[in-house]
Amino acid sequence: MSVPLNVLFWIVVIPGTVVLGLLACWIVRKVSALVQWRVGPPLFQPFYDVVKLMGKEILVPQEAQKAVFMAAPLVGMAGVLLLSIMLWRVAFVPAKPFVGDIIVAIYLMVLPSLALILGSSASASPHAAVGTSREMKLVMGYELSLVLALIVVIIKTGGTLNLAEIAQHTTVFSISNMLAFLVALLCVQAKLGFVPFDIAEAETEVASGVLMEYSGALLAVWKLAHAIMLVALPLFLVIVFLGGFDVTFLTMVFRGTFEPTLIMPLVWSICKYVLVLVLLILIKNTNPRVRIDQAMKFFWVYCGVALVAAIILATIGKNFGVSWL
Amino acid sequence: MNQEELNNRLTEIKDKLTAVEQPADNRIWLTCEAENSYEINKFLFEEVPLRFVIATGIDSDDCFEVLYHYAYDETGCMITLKANIGDREKPAIESIAPFLPGAEWIEREIHDILGIDFKNHPDMRRLILSDDWPEGVYPLRKDAEKPVSRPDGEPLTRPTVQSQSPARRTVPLSKPVVVVGPFHPLQEEMEFFQLSVDGEIVTDIDMRISYNHRGIEKISESLQFDQVPFLVSRICGICSASHPLAYVQAVEELAGIKPPERALYVRTIITELERIHSHILWVGLAGHFIGYDTVFMWAWKYREPVLDLLEEITGNRNNYGNVKVGGCREDVPNDLIPKILKELDGIEKKMEMITKAVLDDPVLHARLKGVGVLSKADAVKYAVTGPTARASGVAIDVRRDDPYAAYADLDWNVISQPEGDVFAKAVVRLLETFESIKIVRQALEKLPDGPVAAEVKEIPPGEAVGHVEAPRGETFHYVRSDGGNRPVRHKVRAPSFVNVPSFKASCIGGHIADVTITLAAVDPCYSCTERLAVVDNNKVIHDYDTLLQLSREKTARIRKEML
Repeated sequence: MSVPLNVLFWIVVIPGTVVLGLLACWIVRKVSALVQWRVGPPLFQPFYDVVKLMGKEILVPQEAQKAVFMAAPLVGMAGVLLLSIMLWRVAFVPAKPFVGDIIVAIYLMVLPSLALILGSSASASPHAAVGTSREMKLVMGYELSLVLALIVVIIKTGGTLNLAEIAQHTTVFSISNMLAFLVALLCVQAKLGFVPFDIAEAETEVASGVLMEYSGALLAVWKLAHAIMLVALPLFLVIVFLGGFDVTFLTMVFRGTFEPTLIMPLVWSICKYVLVLVLLILIKNTNPRVRIDQAMKFFWVYCGVALVAAIILATIGKNFGVSWL
Repeated sequence: MNQEELNNRLTEIKDKLTAVEQPADNRIWLTCEAENSYEINKFLFEEVPLRFVIATGIDSDDCFEVLYHYAYDETGCMITLKANIGDREKPAIESIAPFLPGAEWIEREIHDILGIDFKNHPDMRRLILSDDWPEGVYPLRKDAEKPVSRPDGEPLTRPTVQSQSPARRTVPLSKPVVVVGPFHPLQEEMEFFQLSVDGEIVTDIDMRISYNHRGIEKISESLQFDQVPFLVSRICGICSASHPLAYVQAVEELAGIKPPERALYVRTIITELERIHSHILWVGLAGHFIGYDTVFMWAWKYREPVLDLLEEITGNRNNYGNVKVGGCREDVPNDLIPKILKELDGIEKKMEMITKAVLDDPVLHARLKGVGVLSKADAVKYAVTGPTARASGVAIDVRRDDPYAAYADLDWNVISQPEGDVFAKAVVRLLETFESIKIVRQALEKLPDGPVAAEVKEIPPGEAVGHVEAPRGETFHYVRSDGGNRPVRHKVRAPSFVNVPSFKASCIGGHIADVTITLAAVDPCYSCTERLAVVDNNKVIHDYDTLLQLSREKTARIRKEML
């Protein structure tokens, strides 16, 4: 890739991710609507929502810690953007990785939640305070499970901490990998704040909780960050658990060569992404919200047990060369 | 205890009473002086024991009366204790709330509207009048005039909705408080709960209602007997068959009118269809409250055919305006019966699916079982009714206990559950839907031929009570006539009025997440609960004529579009 083209590419990535995120938002709303026998919003509705919010007044509560309150959405947004850039990099230029990027990814994935906790606790609202404490507990709940799930994959791929290598070496169809994938899927459900884990926002309990005091452009930034998470988190799952996201076709196009045989892997990759997204949406629409203590128990006890089993299976499988374990 | 034994029991307090009347087997009217009312009430509630229904305050010409209505559900007997307060200047009576928490709200209400002081009442704040209502103006007194301004000279406006207004706040500011209301995504109506919290645990709850007053009881006094059903059906869109029916039954009892057989069956069919759609509505809302929006949307979709049926029979999806004194306005056409039966089959199948889904869902079990428990003792103390009582093991149902309409001829069961938690309330409502379907089917099969209305001439002087099992519980109406063509007093007690205060017993100690679903589990209806005080905006935006003009134009427009 020539240097100008390279620069152009990275300029395209961020707006592209935002657009994809809004599209994913629309898919979430449309599929939910179809499940619920509603018509659902038009394609551009998430975009209209953000534009409308951008034009609204920003109200900051009188007793809020203004700087933290205002900075939090930007920090959260920066975190998910960085994460998505890292994941695109893994997909587009797998040859130039850096060691241990999975650990960086874990950190970047916590960043939006941390920013949300900071921002809402700075808003001096009792509803937000309840939401904050719930979000904190939730993060503590699912973070452990997510890390354990990643350890399963790391064991299976022989100890590499490199996302690009993991993407190529994962044995998708093995018991331990499927277990780890399911748990990680639920962790992503919680990270996205989807039912049954929308505990921190719980509209009918604490009236949007953590987001309660946000308005105008700041709320729009949160919405955008959420939209990007809808791209980045399923993409992460696809890369780590489902054998990677193959975009060789696109890189070839960027280089100026058109290779029709490479279309299929790309389509297949997109299918994997959509599959993960639809799974998330279906879980969202077939469950009631759980209580925070139930969520923590779920992640620590049930998911914990499943993951320990998966780790044992993976270790046995690795040492004895049984790839389906 | 049968009726005779009950009568014997009541003779124990004979010497404290000034009069005893028993116009029918299961209607007893007792009269006493205000000084004795506390003891007699205590005897009736604790010793007999009777179920407290409500109290009515009346401004008679020379005195004030407080009527305590009780029910003995085993024989369906309604017992009313009349306490006369002679002192018109400073009317006062002993409060019964200390031993009967279910009477706390109604005493506050009577204090608001009639200015009767209840001695030793634990919490004599205003319940239904707005904060800027002037002191010493009691809207339900016969000499009351509409106040035009507040004491400070400001014009009277709509009730001020201030979430933290000092007059309304009882919980100290040092404690963290999570407020639900006055406008909150939990419920579509205005309500105001202040939850004192310790982390996620709710340690205390304070309730405020009264953001939606329409002065139904006051308006009712200015309407003729046959106009009132239209008014009371507008108390609540969902219970719009039960309220008029309870009123009409009270008037029919007062005047000794017997409606024709077919009318009784038509009433049964309408009220049961109403129960079906109301219970499905609750299932949907309950799903929404715990974040299960799919259940919300599905349940409401399944509810639509019921509303369509009601529209086909009465002309309206809600506010049917179908009952009148002496019978019904609209008949169930015989050629519609096959269609109703067919629709019922469809609804039954879908409800079976939903019921199975709810009863088998492990997440719902985890979320609803053992949550917001209202114990049987508390259910009795707060005098709750309907599914709220039946889910706490108090198996009362007006339809069985004091049969009206055609219920006595039909075969059906009263559903009750002992647990008292939110799950039990859901189970009761879901299973009741099937009973209702059963009732409608039988009523359609047995529907006798004949007219649906008897002729009514005069309403004699007297007083009577009527009660109906509405979807949310017992709807109670009391009517007094002086022989003219308007009621001199018409008291309405909607089920939520006694169900909502029971939150004090069921919410404290729960998580915030549990409390919100508990608040919704009694299926509260605030427009029913708040029907009384007169709110005068003093600003006429549309007067009667322009409104009539507007609605005529709209009707004409719709008719044109339909053709």
